[in-house]
Amino acid sequence: MKKVFALLIAAVLLLSLAACGASSPKNDPAVAGRTGFIMGIDPEYPPFSYLGDDGNYTGFDVEICQAVCDYLGWNMTIFGVNWDEKLVQLDSLECDCVWSGMTILDSMKDAGYVISKPYYDNTQVLVVKEDSGFASSADLAGKLVAVQLGTSGEILLQNDLADLAATFGDVITCDSFLKCFTELAGNSVDAVFVDLPVAASYAAEHEGFKIIDEQLGAEQYGIAFRSGDQALCDAVEKAIAALVENGKYAEIAAKYPDIVNNLLFLND
Amino acid sequence: MSAITENKAPGSVPILEIRGLRKAFDRVPVLRDISFTVNTGNVVTIIGPSGSGKSTLLRCASFLENANDGDILYDGQYAMKGGVYAPKKELNRFRTLFGMVFQNFNLFPHYSVLKNICEPPTLRGCDREEARERASELLKKMGLEGKENAYPCQLSGGQQQRVAIARALALNPEILYFDEPTSALDPELTGEVLKVIRQLAEDHMTMVVVTHEMSFAHAVSHQVIFMDGGYIMEEGSPEQIFENPQQERTKRFLSNYKK
Amino acid sequence: MSLLTMILKMSEGLGKTCAIFFLTLWFSLPLGMIVALLRMSKNKIISSVIRFFITVLRGTPLMLQLLAVTYGPYYLFHANVSRNKLIPVVIAFSINYAAYFAEIYRGGIESIPKGQYEAATVLGYSRFQTFMRIVLPQVIKRIMPSVTNEVVTLVKDTSMAFTVSYQEMFTIGKQIANSQTSFTPFIVAGVFYYLFNFIVDRVMGRIEKRLNYYS
Repeated sequence: MKKVFALLIAAVLLLSLAACGASSPKNDPAVAGRTGFIMGIDPEYPPFSYLGDDGNYTGFDVEICQAVCDYLGWNMTIFGVNWDEKLVQLDSLECDCVWSGMTILDSMKDAGYVISKPYYDNTQVLVVKEDSGFASSADLAGKLVAVQLGTSGEILLQNDLADLAATFGDVITCDSFLKCFTELAGNSVDAVFVDLPVAASYAAEHEGFKIIDEQLGAEQYGIAFRSGDQALCDAVEKAIAALVENGKYAEIAAKYPDIVNNLLFLND
Repeated sequence: MSAITENKAPGSVPILEIRGLRKAFDRVPVLRDISFTVNTGNVVTIIGPSGSGKSTLLRCASFLENANDGDILYDGQYAMKGGVYAPKKELNRFRTLFGMVFQNFNLFPHYSVLKNICEPPTLRGCDREEARERASELLKKMGLEGKENAYPCQLSGGQQQRVAIARALALNPEILYFDEPTSALDPELTGEVLKVIRQLAEDHMTMVVVTHEMSFAHAVSHQVIFMDGGYIMEEGSPEQIFENPQQERTKRFLSNYKK
Repeated sequence: MSLLTMILKMSEGLGKTCAIFFLTLWFSLPLGMIVALLRMSKNKIISSVIRFFITVLRGTPLMLQLLAVTYGPYYLFHANVSRNKLIPVVIAFSINYAAYFAEIYRGGIESIPKGQYEAATVLGYSRFQTFMRIVLPQVIKRIMPSVTNEVVTLVKDTSMAFTVSYQEMFTIGKQIANSQTSFTPFIVAGVFYYLFNFIVDRVMGRIEKRLNYYS
């Protein structure tokens, strides 16, 4: 009985694994007759995507996407993904893309996802309290550092920056970037490891924080589509190019001074 | 327990006196001006229709219900005077004087028969071994030899009620109250319980029995009380009450029981 | 990352999962009894205050309560956030589960027939003795199935500690899932929880059997 049950579980696990890895080539010819477009965002990732003061989603990525949809005549819908499972949600058709300050990872390309050209060069930094006296990442040896679960920062600390992470006392993963900063403000961690633009906008809006002047792990943002959605990706990229051309892109970017310097299309 | 009462001849010394007892539930009077006396060694049976206040009377005498007015005296001492109860400590002392057997036995289901009987005296400071010996003795008397380790759920109703009687007796009460001890039993099981009570009467145990078993009341009691509507309608020897009732109500009530 | 490494890494967090589980039971089981007794208090003010808290604790998500206990003091008084997250986690879990256990206890206590109390009183048991010797043992037997349900739920609820960044097994699983872009850690977590509850079920079953000496 027990063995049968164990086998059953194994079978279920295998099936679900297979389901996760499988691509869905069916939804290819969607671009021409497309009327709607579902944008997958992390609703808590200012300034790229967040809930605005008026209760509507806004942010740099959201505005660009709106402009793209306007340009292409699509009806835009916003879907707030669970950032940890964004790709699963993309695969399960809950959204048509993940476009929300998303770091391009090799593992995404390996897994077959269609990734747009990078539009943003991101850099990770450490944010500390102003009065803490920490001046470099070396000062944080043995200290607690918070990072948002599922962000590129977290992955960097596990891979490329694993040596640096090893010098920290411990790395605490929070499920939102607000929690990371609350932990820092409440003195339960000593630093937050976060994307530079996020750090810049947070430090500008809140008193008592400073960014350690040390750029860690450069990385780039792109838009992720399901494998097989190359045509959709091309259409979006073409629309963005047109927006760059007609100045709309720069107009939107001007509203986000913290990130404007890192936008690749404007600085070519 | 007190040497005085034991040395006096049965039937002469009052162990329980109740005077002018009143009790109402939500302003509905259940007991109105009840007075009677129970003498040591006597068996008093209380009969009457359902709702006449018989059980409430017993529950007031055993402090399970609070009466509103009247006196309750045990051994000549006030447990309640003019509706005011004695302090808690005093009441606890009075509680050692009486035992109670309930209609639904109220045995502790998670205790073995032996523990049901032994724990109360042990908690009162009785020696464990002594309590055990006394329990075995009582079980033998109740015809329940060898049932020490059984659990209540493994016994018939009649057996459970006999265990409950043994449990009450284990505390050596001066007076034992029975609240309809056979009403929850199948008819064929009432006999064994009544037999045990009769045996206790022969041993001069002081008892107050609320019952619907008229022939039992007739045969065993020294004194019969007929209650109706919260009053004691009539009181007297079993001969007086059963053979020559004075009150119309008593006659009517008893006629229902004559076959 | 091989499956084995994954499992090993996640079992590191299993210790913390167990810590939440056992500490929560340790505190909430007795605390629930105190709450239940206060809830049944004859003092109307006490019982209605307790009743209100029970409805709040049962009527709001545990996740919110976790956030409130962990970050609430900071937002309200600018107090420091606890470095050892086990403390706020266990406090929030214990209070929440105490509210559930309290209602289970209350149901159990109220199901004990009045006659048991009356018999005990007449036999000279004090109120405390009546509760400890007569009522409680019977209550425990009656409530075992409902308690087992809650304990099984608790095993799964420990995963909610991730919301306040406590690095228990599920949080580690999420981290691995992220960095590996793989769903496998969630399956490993599911198996862990299942095995955990398999043991819980066995243990509770054994206790229930032990209490079956009477019916």
